[in-house]
Amino acid sequence: MKIILPCSTINMMSGDPVSISQILDQLCINPSEVIVSRNGKLVPEDAVAGGDDEIRIIRIAHGG
Amino acid sequence: MLCAEPPVIRLREPDRHLCAAHLIADVEKRAARTIRERELIKPHDRIAVAFSGGKDSTALLVTLSRLLPSWEDVSLVAITVDEGIAGYRDDTIRAAEEVTKKLRTEHVCISFTDLVGDDLDALLVGRETQACSVCGILRRKALSVAAQKAGATKIATGHNLDDEAQSVLMNTLRGDLPRLVRTSDADSSDCFIPRIKPLADIAEKEIAAYLFVQDLFPFLPECPYTRYALRLEVRSMLSAMEQKHPGTMRNLIKSKRAIEKHVGRRVMSEPLRRCRECGDPCSGELCQVCTLRKSLGK
Repeated sequence: MKIILPCSTINMMSGDPVSISQILDQLCINPSEVIVSRNGKLVPEDAVAGGDDEIRIIRIAHGG
Repeated sequence: MLCAEPPVIRLREPDRHLCAAHLIADVEKRAARTIRERELIKPHDRIAVAFSGGKDSTALLVTLSRLLPSWEDVSLVAITVDEGIAGYRDDTIRAAEEVTKKLRTEHVCISFTDLVGDDLDALLVGRETQACSVCGILRRKALSVAAQKAGATKIATGHNLDDEAQSVLMNTLRGDLPRLVRTSDADSSDCFIPRIKPLADIAEKEIAAYLFVQDLFPFLPECPYTRYALRLEVRSMLSAMEQKHPGTMRNLIKSKRAIEKHVGRRVMSEPLRRCRECGDPCSGELCQVCTLRKSLGK
């Protein structure tokens, strides 16, 4: 599974099924501060990802 | 879940999953309710939308454009303030122009250079830690000047629930009671163009999701001066609390409104004066802009 972090760095994770909130937890990211897409579609934190999914984590808390 | 479509967000209070269409409808319905209940917009209003091109002001402009036909003779004008921040503002201004073109909204820009003869980067040399307060004072003034010029009767800003809760905590941490109890609704002051916050009941995450599902989320760089802001620390502390204890932000705002109700008038009873330099309404001898101009040698 491909994880695209808010800073655009790419992390590869095993394809075992895991919830989005578990992924965020592992990365120490607060779910209130991001939205997450799975293969380009927005998903809630209790959605499950796995296999070849592409997960993109987008930081929403911006200054300016 | 309200329908069989795939959910895009999970909301709490009450706990529910929403698909893209229900999320869009929910955000717009709640913004309309805030406007109606607090009487933020009246017939014949001309609304100046403070429009940076970032996500909150984009959501505000999109929402107001869609609600526009439900109000009698109300018009919108988007106002973008160009502070002059290298590597940041150019992208957001471009994004702002694209959105206003798409929504067919009148759009005007005003810069700090128009206002004080210099851009923010130049004004901040050697005083970077004061970036947010300097920028805030000048941005409010620029917005007010442009809104007045555009004939606006209200100024709408994209402040969301998170911003409001952060402000309550920041004002408490600073011990700034007058600012804490300053009313957040459109007031009847004769001196200022009233400011309204139609998205004040909507969380930042809902706003981001609302834009993302419509391909309107602006992927923009972060303001380089953000790292100096107290708000950054407060934001991170509050969002951690909200995640652990849902409802924290709403409760903070509720406490603020209760204090506002009990002591607001007493704290704010000082008469408004006129700035001895520029004649603008203010609470002391000099308004904040003239005080700042003096300290900057402008």
